[in-house]
Amino acid sequence: MEVVKKYSEPELVQLLRQRSSHVFSYLYDNYSGALHSVILNIVNEEELANDVLQEVFVKIWRQIESYDSSKGRLFTWMLNIARNASIDTVRSKGYQNSRQNRELTEDVYTAGGTSEMRTDQIGLKKLVYSLREEYKVLVELSYFQGYTQDEIAKMLNIPLGTVKTRLRTALIQLREIIKP
Amino acid sequence: MDIKSYIESGVIESYVLGMADTQEAAELEQLSRQHPEIRKAINDFEAALEQHALAAAVTPPFQIKEQLLITLADEFIKEEESRPVAFGWFRYMAAASVILLVVSAALNVYFYTQFRSTSNAYQALLVEKNTLFADNQNIQTKALELYSNMQMMSDPAIQKISLSATKAGENNLATIFWDSKSKDVYLMLNKLPQAAPDKQYQLWAIVDGKPVDAGMIDACAGLCKMKNIPSASMFAITLEKKGGAASPTMDQMCVAGKVG
Repeated sequence: MEVVKKYSEPELVQLLRQRSSHVFSYLYDNYSGALHSVILNIVNEEELANDVLQEVFVKIWRQIESYDSSKGRLFTWMLNIARNASIDTVRSKGYQNSRQNRELTEDVYTAGGTSEMRTDQIGLKKLVYSLREEYKVLVELSYFQGYTQDEIAKMLNIPLGTVKTRLRTALIQLREIIKP
Repeated sequence: MDIKSYIESGVIESYVLGMADTQEAAELEQLSRQHPEIRKAINDFEAALEQHALAAAVTPPFQIKEQLLITLADEFIKEEESRPVAFGWFRYMAAASVILLVVSAALNVYFYTQFRSTSNAYQALLVEKNTLFADNQNIQTKALELYSNMQMMSDPAIQKISLSATKAGENNLATIFWDSKSKDVYLMLNKLPQAAPDKQYQLWAIVDGKPVDAGMIDACAGLCKMKNIPSASMFAITLEKKGGAASPTMDQMCVAGKVG
């Protein structure tokens, strides 16, 4: 995709607040792929991920006033919106039901030919899955599934302090991997 | 506080990824305002995360964007509304050029009118100058003539003969200047009534008792040169029909004067 004009982040935010459809389109063209990949990491299901992506861009559009540039970059803010929306979707009743149904049918038809894709092979999850198992599971549960460290400690039956320490070590390792 | 080990603790990554709890987040935000190194570490990780995410992008189906543009259609500002700057600028330029054109046209008319009246005035002055020049030439010629007349009159060889009225009650007067050497005759009309259109004054020289035509008198300024008269005892002027007569009509004699 060819991008004629490159907007700086403050320009982008200002023009979005001025309700420019042109800049919304620019934002979508430039960031939908990155956000889509994160959503797929969490939602795992393409149809649903598309819905979440749409919901995320509506939220970005409608909540741009609440973005505070002193707290971080625009992308970080959008990424967190995408992560939260994805986790909310996964935790919703409807998603849980459809997943159970699908698991039942998958037993019958085997794994091939379903709409589920190997979303652990893309984006951030691919990096996380390259970490050692003990780190991987913690990041999976906390980042991709949204559990608190307390909940994780109980689920895995390990001390909260250990969860904290390992998780932070895992994140430092992640940082080193994505460092340019 | 050891900033370096704080930066290396993983709390920054946890915060950026949205995994920090409220207390941790508040603490980090507080510290980042105080320590530029922390601010920088946050920013560096954010930038790296963004770069990675952009590189790992998975393009969504194009229908999603279409759907979004439909969903949000009412919330976009009208595209035309962001254009008036350029359009307005163009309109002002157009208006300005029209105004300039009108002003220029008005000035053209004004200057052309000015030019015409100046040109006319110049032509009038030129004509006046030529007239004055011609008048001046005339006056110079007359002055020269008068000068030569005066020279002649003051010549000792010139004999002056006064012709006075022949009839009682009239005070007609003319003067003859007769060059005794060349025998040329000059006449000055001092006072004679205006001749009728079909009449003309005629000068006669009386030679040996007989009248000899000495020339018709035209309107002349100063001295009128008449015919050469070798000898005469008397000069007289009669009023004759236009073109003159062979012999004078005696009762029409206005002035006469004896030589000597």
